[in-house]
Amino acid sequence: MLYDLNIAWSPSTTKDQLLQTLALASTLGYGTVALNHALNQPPQGNATAPFPDLSSTTTTSTSSKKLPHILHRATIPLSDPAASNYRLPALARTYDIIAVRPLTPDAFQNACITLDVPLISLDLTQHFPFHFRPKPCMAAVARGVRFEICYAQCLAADARGRATFISNTANLIRATRGRGIVISSEARGVLALRAPADVVNLLSVWGLGNEKGMESLGPVPRSVVVNEGIKRNGFRGVIDIVKPAEPGPGDLQPSKQAEGSGQDSKKNKKQKRKNGDEENQPGNKRQHKKMKVVTREPGPTKA
Amino acid sequence: MVRIKERYLLVNIVYPPDPSKPAESSLPSHVVHHQPTTDKLTYQSLLKAIKTEVALLFGDYGSGSLDASLSIKYLSLATSTFIIRCPRAHYRMLWAALTFLHHVPIAHGSGRPCIFRVVRVSGTMRKAEEEAIRRAKRLIIAAQEEASCATSTLTDAHVLQEPLPTDITDESSDESMGEGDG
Repeated sequence: MLYDLNIAWSPSTTKDQLLQTLALASTLGYGTVALNHALNQPPQGNATAPFPDLSSTTTTSTSSKKLPHILHRATIPLSDPAASNYRLPALARTYDIIAVRPLTPDAFQNACITLDVPLISLDLTQHFPFHFRPKPCMAAVARGVRFEICYAQCLAADARGRATFISNTANLIRATRGRGIVISSEARGVLALRAPADVVNLLSVWGLGNEKGMESLGPVPRSVVVNEGIKRNGFRGVIDIVKPAEPGPGDLQPSKQAEGSGQDSKKNKKQKRKNGDEENQPGNKRQHKKMKVVTREPGPTKA
Repeated sequence: MVRIKERYLLVNIVYPPDPSKPAESSLPSHVVHHQPTTDKLTYQSLLKAIKTEVALLFGDYGSGSLDASLSIKYLSLATSTFIIRCPRAHYRMLWAALTFLHHVPIAHGSGRPCIFRVVRVSGTMRKAEEEAIRRAKRLIIAAQEEASCATSTLTDAHVLQEPLPTDITDESSDESMGEGDG
């Protein structure tokens, strides 16, 4: 399953354009895409995700276009690390993935080391006032933060932009040793998309080997998506409830207890993304045992 | 023993839908994406455009290593497919140049916007041709399926599904083909 975590979207994109881009992404082989809303500055108050609702089109159109699975993402430019940290949780509630675009050395350092944002995205056609040093970059990757390379920035740039892009990309790959890199398109329109094999080859010309390139299109973005999903839908080690425990026959107190422990995790919320495993983590044995004793049935699922 | 090793790239031209037409056209998206190409696309115009792009991206080094030995072995306007041959050591440069192209290269003026997608890299012409035939068959079947179940939501592109979309290098035809090619 291949991911393209950055399809540029702005409120001025028409639904037609968006549908065309998504249909082409599906043909080229991307299973999941994320529509990226590039915010100019952190939004005031509670922003609602302004993405158009695309579920209605697929059922009513005469030619059934197969669209990829769609996620919502926001990218925030970050120049002053002290300013907007408190907005991030509010944003995290409305969007599935948050990315940050640091513009100054301090912001970059902050994003690598402290911020709780899974993706660091950069406009690689610009000269940066900071260098990519292995120490903060590897620290970020160890923490779980991923760097994003958007290939459409290079496709659309002029000669100077391409040269800067290639130089920045090579530096970034060198600083991270090729690990923790996510490749996406930042496609503004249909024409900026490319097939996954082409993208892997392009990155191999720029310095990221074939294996790492394929990882950056599949497993690494998948880890970002799944982790973000768990952060939002999981609770204390419980990732997902397969089936809530049934109360025992004619027992008021046990059913109350079962309900109490069942309501702890936000169950039954429609999962928008794949969960690789639906097991409870072993640290949750106490809850298991409680439900087991209470319902007098074999407890839910496995060890 | 001293044999020039080649790579044959099988390339599709993929067309995004025309923005002036409405999005809800009745054609299945596979048909729209893989439409036939205008006959203004000739062997010469295509080759010239590729050489220009290589020179633009890789300069004199690129032109020197690729220009003399580039040739288009097969061009089909109906299926928007072509097979291009290049030396084994520099096929990635050529592939990258193809990725940067964004218009159909015709002799005068500028052609339709399009995307070049390399679907197979092979060491022999025969394998590339076989793959071209296989893909054409699968495309027809997939388009028919999509058209026939247009009202149901059960479209699956399983017919067109390759094992792994990034793994298109054909390992079987050249015994010394591997990652150390350069």
